[in-house]
Amino acid sequence: MVDLADGFPAPVRLDGLAVGSIGRVADVLGGDGTSLRLIEMGLTPGATVRLVGRAPLGDPWEIELRGYRLSLRRAEAARVVLEPR
Amino acid sequence: MHEPPAGRTHVTAVLLGNPNTGKSTLFSALAGIPTRIGNYPGVTVEEKVGRFVHAGVTIDLVDLPGTYSFAPQSPDEQVAVDVLHGRMDGVAKPDCVIVVADATNLERNCYLASLALELGIPTIVALTLSDVAATKGIDVDVVALARRLGCPVVPVAAPTGAGIADLRGAIVAAADAPPPPRPDLAAHLGRVAAGRQPAEREAIARYAWIDATLDGVVRRRPPAAISLDERIDAALTHRLWGTLAFAVVMLALFTSIFVLAAPLMEVISAGMEAVAGSVEAALPAGAIRSLLVHGVLAGVGGVVVFVPQIALLFLFVAVLEGCGYLARAAYLMDRLLVGAGLSGKSFIPLLSSFACAIPGIMAARTIENRRDRLLTILVAPLMSCSARLPVYLLFCGAFVPDRAVGLPWIRLPAVVLVAMYAVGVVTAAAVAWVLSRTLFTGPPQPFVMELPGWRWPQPAVVLERVREAAWSFLKNAGTLIVAMSIVLWALGSYPKPVLPVGGDMTEAEVRGEALRQSFLGRAGRAIEPVVRPLGWDWRLGCAAIASFPAREVVLGTLGVIYNLGDVDPGAEEGATLLVRRLKAATWDGTDRKVFTLPVALSIMVFFALCAQCMSTLVVIGRETGSRLWPVVTFLYMTALAWLAAFVVYQLGTRLGW
Repeated sequence: MVDLADGFPAPVRLDGLAVGSIGRVADVLGGDGTSLRLIEMGLTPGATVRLVGRAPLGDPWEIELRGYRLSLRRAEAARVVLEPR
Repeated sequence: MHEPPAGRTHVTAVLLGNPNTGKSTLFSALAGIPTRIGNYPGVTVEEKVGRFVHAGVTIDLVDLPGTYSFAPQSPDEQVAVDVLHGRMDGVAKPDCVIVVADATNLERNCYLASLALELGIPTIVALTLSDVAATKGIDVDVVALARRLGCPVVPVAAPTGAGIADLRGAIVAAADAPPPPRPDLAAHLGRVAAGRQPAEREAIARYAWIDATLDGVVRRRPPAAISLDERIDAALTHRLWGTLAFAVVMLALFTSIFVLAAPLMEVISAGMEAVAGSVEAALPAGAIRSLLVHGVLAGVGGVVVFVPQIALLFLFVAVLEGCGYLARAAYLMDRLLVGAGLSGKSFIPLLSSFACAIPGIMAARTIENRRDRLLTILVAPLMSCSARLPVYLLFCGAFVPDRAVGLPWIRLPAVVLVAMYAVGVVTAAAVAWVLSRTLFTGPPQPFVMELPGWRWPQPAVVLERVREAAWSFLKNAGTLIVAMSIVLWALGSYPKPVLPVGGDMTEAEVRGEALRQSFLGRAGRAIEPVVRPLGWDWRLGCAAIASFPAREVVLGTLGVIYNLGDVDPGAEEGATLLVRRLKAATWDGTDRKVFTLPVALSIMVFFALCAQCMSTLVVIGRETGSRLWPVVTFLYMTALAWLAAFVVYQLGTRLGW
């Protein structure tokens, strides 16, 4: 979602992506063990991410990056900031 | 041809790699069956070492637990890191590291490779799953990759054996080779924003190095259409179809336990009976014969009879794991399990516990989060294991009226059977929920899990898992159950009975009287006030006490109490006889039947929830490293069992079931 109210698009996070759409990672928030693990799994700034789908009960989510599939909960996905489009 | 380096006759090599890279298959192909299985000192992480000889050199191959990085998030990963740095007692610092890299997602696998290259140990990269990569349009230039990484890269296809001989030779050669050059991260590090944590900066720099290293080495042809992989995934994680598929898979799994295992169990029962018969014929009557037949052989038979069921369930689980479905199952179940205070990773340990809680509890080692792991271990025994099934089958078959429920082919006894399984599951969810909100509060732990590509499960790996599970049951439970059977035999045979004069009692009647007058019988009578509210008489109390160390013995003990002697209630003939006796049983001195429907239900519910397995408690103690948790498990489960049985009996009687 792009908000152009003050001329600058609002940052999208991974938990705001629509199913099937692609984004590029800008940052991973948190500075803790979880954010380190997400980066080590390949969610680095510049990496391309695609939201493949969500589990039937709404959580967790399945994303595709660097040629493989990763599942993570919405709470973890919310830490991944994407480049605005 | 690799000549053995002069003088060196022994090499310690380790297999390092991400999970799901075919590492286990590679281990089997290189070293066959592991020579050493046990735990690393001080931790509950399994050590897997194999040995093979190549060109006159003996190679000890250590299969390290799958890991994603050197910042360990679990005891498994900590062990891998410790072994690599030579910090693990009893394991020599490795002479050679083999990084197992999956060609289908080389970027992430190279993360671990880049870490390994910094260890200063000779390194080889074993490239697996190249055939799968080819079907996805991925092509890896092995020569260029080796040049860029500065270490040998050996493509292997473990199922066909291709590349294995080359890899063996490379291991021998590498042990005396110089260590590879360290990856140059400096340039990439400079381009990362300064304000981040150092560990994060380094990780980001590493991926930048990987992108540069793999540029031109890995070529991807954009797929012409949606790959088969993706289509399978879309179907199996689909809101409707995925859930349906999951239900079908679970149904098939459980049906196979009942349907396929039953004939196997009959065969084993019959076999044990034959053995007991010949021992009985060979020896003179007396304490020794009694001990052997009713103590030792009864115990052994009671253990061995469950192996088919356990093996079958683990076969199913191993196949599902090998093809990649189990990760999807954990993904589908995560939300539900989070609602119960657990997580998707608890799914496999809890599922395994339906066969036997012991391998299930040991499988909880894969849960990184300490709190989740402990909760999973504490509720795993509530999953109705194989030993409870004979109890359910006998009482459902004998005392639940065979009426149709809704549709004509849905029978009430089957519904009650399923309900007993459901009782365990629902109680487990409730207990986990309560504990997670009271004693074990904490922030929800992250759930970051790879969903591996779809593959054909490897027979060698599948069979190894089945063997491991059956062995851990036999070793842990088996020995204790046999020991307990002997103790129970003693408690049930002594003091020797005072028989009425002019005794023309049958052997079975003598045994029944012996049990009644023994310590066990007296104990049964002593606790009768406690079990009366459940609708039980002293005989049932006796059988219940006898089954506290191992619930397997309950039907056999009931058989003896009701003067059936050696008849085996596990086999069909014996069961029919026992049922007849139970149906005719009355309260001492009255005409009132003991076994009504509410009583049968209260028995089943009690067995569903009670902690009647000393082996499980011992394993819980080992896996949690404390004596507190087995005690807690025993107390809470027994209390819940009594309460539930009480409610069911009282309610059922009042409602006139």
